[in-house]
Amino acid sequence: MSTAALITMILILGVVWGGFVLALRLALRKEKSKSHKALADKELK
Amino acid sequence: MNSTEHFTSRWGLILSVIGIAVGTGNIWRFPRIAAANGGGSFLIPWVLFLFLWSIPLIIAEFAIGKQTRLGTVGAFATLLGKKRAWMGGFVGLVATAIMFYYAVVAGWCLRYFSTALTGQLLEVTDHTAHWNDFISSGWLPVLFHVLAITMGAAIIRKGVVHGIEKANRIIIPALLCLIVVSAVRAITLPGALAGLEYLFTPDLETIMDYRVWLQALTQNAWDTGAGWGLILTYAVYMKKREDIPLNAMLIGLGNNSVSLLAAITIFCTVFALVPGQGEELIRSAGPANTGLTFIWIPQLFKQMPGGWLFAIFFFLALTLAAVSSLISMLELTTRVLMDMRMSRDRALSLVFAAALLLGIPSAISIEFFINQDWVWGMGLMVSGAFIAMAVISFGADRLRQDQINSSGSDLVIGRWYNWLITYAIPAQVIILVTWWFWQVIKGNPQHWWNPLQAESVGTCIFQWSVAIALLLALNRFVVRRTFDK
Repeated sequence: MSTAALITMILILGVVWGGFVLALRLALRKEKSKSHKALADKELK
Repeated sequence: MNSTEHFTSRWGLILSVIGIAVGTGNIWRFPRIAAANGGGSFLIPWVLFLFLWSIPLIIAEFAIGKQTRLGTVGAFATLLGKKRAWMGGFVGLVATAIMFYYAVVAGWCLRYFSTALTGQLLEVTDHTAHWNDFISSGWLPVLFHVLAITMGAAIIRKGVVHGIEKANRIIIPALLCLIVVSAVRAITLPGALAGLEYLFTPDLETIMDYRVWLQALTQNAWDTGAGWGLILTYAVYMKKREDIPLNAMLIGLGNNSVSLLAAITIFCTVFALVPGQGEELIRSAGPANTGLTFIWIPQLFKQMPGGWLFAIFFFLALTLAAVSSLISMLELTTRVLMDMRMSRDRALSLVFAAALLLGIPSAISIEFFINQDWVWGMGLMVSGAFIAMAVISFGADRLRQDQINSSGSDLVIGRWYNWLITYAIPAQVIILVTWWFWQVIKGNPQHWWNPLQAESVGTCIFQWSVAIALLLALNRFVVRRTFDK
C-alpha cells in the first residue's frame, strides 16, 4: 500500500471507528452512573 | 400509536434509530457511490460532512421532535409559522419518495435471501448476468417489492415499542456481526490489499470534482438519516429527560463505521477475485454499479467455508435491516397523516397503497430507479436546509438551551452549534448548489435543463418544483386539518 493510502486509511478509520468507540464508552459510563444514582435514590426512599 | 408511548430505554432508542440508518444505505448504497466517485477521494469529503452536516442535523431533528411532539408538517408549522408548513411537507415528501424505491431495494434483499435459502445463489456462475436477468425480468422485482412493503406495513401495525424496538435488538447486532466476519474474510483474500489501496487513495483531480462533494454530502445524509425527518418523527416518542447530543454522535459515527466496513468488504472482494480489472469493474456505471453488493457478496461467500450458511444469514439480516428502515419511512408519512386527524389504520393503509403503486415504476425500470435515487438523494440537501431554517427561525440558541442541553443531556453543546446551524449548513448548500449548477451549465449547455435525463439538474428542478407546487396548493388544507380542533 502507498504511504498516501496508509495515512488516509489511518486518519479516516481513526476518526470514524475511534470516534464511535469513544462515544460508546462515554455512553456506557453515563448509563452506569445513571443507574447507580437511580438505585441510590430508591434506597433513600 | 400515540405520542404518549415512549421508548423504554436509551439503548432501545439508539438501536431503533440505528435501525433506521443501518441498512441498505450502508451496505448497498455506500460502496456503490464510493466506487463511482473515486474511492479515497470520496471518503475525505464524506467524513467532513459527517461533522459539518449530518451530526448537527441529527441533533436538530431530535430537538425539534422533542420540542414540538409533532410530525414534520406540524413541527415546521409550529417553528416557522403555518404559512411555511409546506417546508415540513417537503421534508416528509423527500423521505416518502425515497421510500417508494427503497421498498424495491428491500425486495431485492428479500429475493436474494430466498435464493440463498434454496441454495441456488451460490450455484450461480455469472453473478453479473444473474443480477441483470433479475432486474430486467419485470415481474420478479415487482413481486418482491410488493412482499417487502407488505411486510413493513404488517410489522408497523404492532406499534413502536413492541415491534421495532424488539426486532432491532436482534437484527442490528446480528447484521453487524455478519458484516465484521465478511470484512475479515474479504481482507484476508489474496490480492485484497489492492482494494484497500483504491478505497483509501485520494486523488487530487477527482477531489476537485463537484460531483464527488455533492454525492459525499447526500450519501452521508443517506447513511445517517440526517435531514430525512425520520429522527424528528422518532423524537416525538422520546422521554423528556432523554439525552440528545451523545445519541446523535453514536448514530452518526456508528452508521459511518458500518458503511466503511461494508465498503472494505466489497472493494477487497472485487479486487481479489478479479485481479487487474478491479478498478474498471468497480467504477463501471449502470445496473452493475447499482447491484455491486448483490453481485459481489455471494462471490465472497463462495470463498468461505460454510459460505451458504453465511449467505442465508447475511441476506436475512440485510432484508430485516431494510424492512426496519422501511418501517421508519412508513411511520413518518403515517405520523403526518395522523397529525391531520386521520386514524392510524386509515393513514397506514393509505401510505401502504401509495408505496405499493408508486414503487412499481422503479421495480420495473432500473433507469427510472436511478433517476429517483438521484432526484430525492439530492432532495435531502434541500431538506437539510429547511431543517436548519426551522431551527434558525425558532432560535438556535433557544433550542440548544431548552432541548439539546436539557437536564437529561450527557454532553453539553456549546455556542459553536448555533454557528454550525445558522451559517455552516446554509453555506454548504449555497456553495454546493452554485458549484453544481455552474459546472453543469458550462459543461452541458444543451441538455442540463432536460427533465427526461436520468441524472440532470433539470430533472431535479422539475420534480422538486412539482412537489413544492403541490405542497403549496395543499398548505392551507393541511394546516387546517392539523391544527383546527
